[in-house]
Amino acid sequence: MRLRQYTLRNLSVPLLAILTIWAFAFYFTIISEIDEETNESLINYKTLIFKTIQSDSTLLKDHVDIMTQYYIREISQKETNPDKSVFFDSTFQSAPDMPILPVRGLRTHFQASNNRYYELTIMTSTLEKDDMVKAIIIGLTILYLSLVFCILLVIQLVFRRSLRPLYKLVDWLKKFRLGKSYEPLNNNTEIEEFRILAQAIDEVGKQNTEIYNKQKQFVENASHELQTPLAICMNKLELMSENPDCSEQQLSEIASMHQTLRGIIKMNKSLLLLSRIENRQFLETSRLCINNLLNTIVYNCNEMYEHKNLTVEYKEDAQLFATMNESLATTLLTNLIKNAYIHNIKNGIIQINIASHSLTIQNSSDTPRLQTVSLYNRYERQSKHKESTGLGLAIVKSISNLYMIKVEYNFSNGLHLFRLIFN
Amino acid sequence: MKILVVEDEISLLDIMVCSLEKERYVVESAASYQEAMDKIGSYDYDCIILDIMLPGGNGLSLLQALKDRKRKDSVIIVSAKDSLEDKVQGLDLGADDYLTKPFHLAELNARIKCILRRKQQDGEMNIIVDNLIMYPDQHTVYIKGIELALNRKEFDLLYYFITNPNRLISKSALAESIWGDYIDQADSFDFIYSQVKNLRKKLKTAGAIPEIKAVYGFGYKMISEEI
Repeated sequence: MRLRQYTLRNLSVPLLAILTIWAFAFYFTIISEIDEETNESLINYKTLIFKTIQSDSTLLKDHVDIMTQYYIREISQKETNPDKSVFFDSTFQSAPDMPILPVRGLRTHFQASNNRYYELTIMTSTLEKDDMVKAIIIGLTILYLSLVFCILLVIQLVFRRSLRPLYKLVDWLKKFRLGKSYEPLNNNTEIEEFRILAQAIDEVGKQNTEIYNKQKQFVENASHELQTPLAICMNKLELMSENPDCSEQQLSEIASMHQTLRGIIKMNKSLLLLSRIENRQFLETSRLCINNLLNTIVYNCNEMYEHKNLTVEYKEDAQLFATMNESLATTLLTNLIKNAYIHNIKNGIIQINIASHSLTIQNSSDTPRLQTVSLYNRYERQSKHKESTGLGLAIVKSISNLYMIKVEYNFSNGLHLFRLIFN
Repeated sequence: MKILVVEDEISLLDIMVCSLEKERYVVESAASYQEAMDKIGSYDYDCIILDIMLPGGNGLSLLQALKDRKRKDSVIIVSAKDSLEDKVQGLDLGADDYLTKPFHLAELNARIKCILRRKQQDGEMNIIVDNLIMYPDQHTVYIKGIELALNRKEFDLLYYFITNPNRLISKSALAESIWGDYIDQADSFDFIYSQVKNLRKKLKTAGAIPEIKAVYGFGYKMISEEI
């Protein structure tokens, strides 16, 4: 969820609640005010009627007009309750064919000058009140909606304006990749907090890029410069071994040195390859048939690892094509396939499946599920295999990143699974 | 056979010269661009081993100079650069082969022999060691005039041994030369062991005089009577 939506959501919930409460409170206050006014006018009327009746008892009779009516009914003394004064809401119809009108009434008891007791019921039309309520509800609703809309609109606009530097920063961060050419973050803003943030990020970005480049260069230079001395060492050992005076023991010492040296040379080559992939030095690409490449690799591996007596199930459901550098494609496939052979058990199985957009390689092994978090890290050895340089999967990852190929790892039923998904 | 080795790293130069002299070539050396240019200007060589990155100039321009003079000296580039583009560039300029550092001396030797043979025998190419005759282009081997049936890998192995007779070859050099990137050291040695064993058996049964001997812990050596 984006910050704007998040804030808007968090703001609108209490805002809606508060405004709703406010609207209801307003409505009820107004209504009770109106009722009070009506009651007051009824009481006033009552006082007036009393006064009139006290002075002239002939007036002790009902009175009906369109706005107000009153009814006088004689009651016994027992029923009389001089304090009784009840307000009520009712309806009134002056004639059968007239509309029914809402009225508010007051019922009270009194003793007239003739010492008899009466009940007085006064009713006054509240047609105006109903109209008013309607007007209030409509007005309130319009006001409520426009208020909510305006508030949210203003928040939205203010947000967009004041957070513009933040969004620029986020966009920049999204594009930022170590190793790509560094584009400075030009985020001039008058908001101090954002300015400080932008400056800090810009500085960290610059520093990291510099460190990264230096490291990359170091690895590249070191690997490159090591090749000649390594060649010298290896060739000297080879010359030494050809000396007929060498004893068997010396030869075996030389052999072990030679083998260690081979390991170093291999690692060095892998590091160089990684540097070159990351520096995007493999520009030439062509449309390759992965099936053909894989056929050769599997054929050679079968030959090489014949002594392991593996069952290889090779299934081609479709022709898989990819646009890649051929030597990188070969390296990618060789590394994965070779791993399936090397890390396999005797009499184990390998299942290779080629679909139109993916390649799946599964193999049995005595190693448990590999840690996916660090699987593709350099020098991450999760098997007991002594000879591995720990760079094979790092190279796989590097090549697949270069060509946007997705690599998946899974482990089930004792089989390690690697899947390449091509776009 | 006259060979010129151009390499600026003196230790490596010495080793190469020493190794080639063992093969009874006449070997000369040059440690800089200028020195190499002078030697090329004065003499003809059968084969030139050329490092590309040299003090004072690029090895590729030496190649260009040879081409301009329409010289027929074979050239093997030896370089620390191992990208495909570099190889293609070198071969386009007329180099006969391209070897990446670090390399095995046996590999260098095999490549030189291959080139020299191609140059000497313009028509049919065969290698004769004692009673064994090999036709590399046809992938056939004859012992005492009878064809010996070998599979592809066995043939490659034998070819490598034949180009390096009487020379101790390490198992890793063998493995790398024949299986390239597929090898993984520890595992591959079992495999080489069984492959070489098969090859030895076949040679012996056919009555071949050259014999492949195992040198404990290190590798193998082909012993022939002629050399």
